[in-house]
Amino acid sequence: MAQKIVIDPITRIEGHLRIEARVEDGRIAEAWASSTMFRGFEIIMKGRDPREAWLMAQRI
Amino acid sequence: MSPTMSIAEELAVRGITRREFLKFCTIMAGVLALPVEQTAKIARALETARRPAVVWLEFQDCAGCTESLLRANRPSVAELVLDILSLNYHETIMAPAGHAAEKSLQDTVKEGGYLTIVEGSIPVNDDGVYCCIGGRSALEILKEVAANTAAIITVGACAFYGGWPATPPNPTGAKGVKEIITGVPIVNLPGCPLNVDNLTATVVHYLTFKKLPAVDDLGRPLFAYGRRIHDNCERRGHFDAGEFVEAWGDEGHRQGWCLYKMGCKGPVAFQNCPAIRWNEGTSWPVAAGHGCIACATPNFWEMPAYEPVPIHALTPPTTYPEVEPAKEMSPITAGVIGAAVGVAAGVAGAVAVSQLAKKEE
Repeated sequence: MAQKIVIDPITRIEGHLRIEARVEDGRIAEAWASSTMFRGFEIIMKGRDPREAWLMAQRI
Repeated sequence: MSPTMSIAEELAVRGITRREFLKFCTIMAGVLALPVEQTAKIARALETARRPAVVWLEFQDCAGCTESLLRANRPSVAELVLDILSLNYHETIMAPAGHAAEKSLQDTVKEGGYLTIVEGSIPVNDDGVYCCIGGRSALEILKEVAANTAAIITVGACAFYGGWPATPPNPTGAKGVKEIITGVPIVNLPGCPLNVDNLTATVVHYLTFKKLPAVDDLGRPLFAYGRRIHDNCERRGHFDAGEFVEAWGDEGHRQGWCLYKMGCKGPVAFQNCPAIRWNEGTSWPVAAGHGCIACATPNFWEMPAYEPVPIHALTPPTTYPEVEPAKEMSPITAGVIGAAVGVAAGVAGAVAVSQLAKKEE
């Protein structure tokens, strides 16, 4: 008998994470991890002064 | 950990001495720019205050402000989080996860009257899909939590105006809390990250005076954001003397000269960093040798970090007379010195008046 478990949010970590798991006969058959937050660092940093990159990237 | 215990009772249980407690109250009076006599009032209020329930929401954030919170030592994090605040919901440090975590939030919201602290921006593009927690968008969660809260405190640049995620082209439509929520008292504690001493002081003010501190037109407390960094900078003397760092690691940099030419935004930045500093009062960016990036200013990410910022208000030192004036003066020099003497006379007058005031006390 398959059962689906969702844990969202995963706490005590930095950032937002969702875990879904499909359980079959008491064992995890399949699992999915999703990061549920997006800011677009790669898009915003394009074209900027490279000397500033460290200031921005350290905020990931 | 009973919620009915007063803070003083909690501190006693944790072995915090009365002396340490009063020291903390004095520091808070200082940070809040209150007269020292207010220390007793703060102590009385904290002794009797019940811990307010707090919901800490994290949206589009880097958890940097949470890191700042975890490094609080005035009081230490355990005292701040567990004794003064009843942190009912905080994703990064709470024990429950998943449904249990969301239940803590729902129970607190149902009860009402809690303080809400928001860290991170709120994306509104594409129905808010760029930040979801427990299957719900940040936008939906914020609106629900704001409906029943006593007040909102935003921490960091992102919850203030959108911060880094809102920097053009702002791909997710990131916004600050004040652009979304109206009709609820909001106080903004920007910074990237926030300085946790300012959060502690704001909470202490709220508990002592039962209201949020006085704020400027951007909703930032005046006690923390009322003074220009440049005017209180320990390197200001070098600016006035024309002693500037010209390249990283040059002689001036080693001597601790002014970082203006390296892009320091101190002349347009307002925060109390030079006074209260960071990391247990150890240091702050300019003391460490890097210019200020004006992280408590709206849209500061759009200012080139390493280009000098235009200074609009020229400062008196441009008209200071030379210590040893040239023997033959041009009429222009004489005029400038005349003006400077006038300024000096004005300053002397002001000093005399202040001394008079002291005598009257």
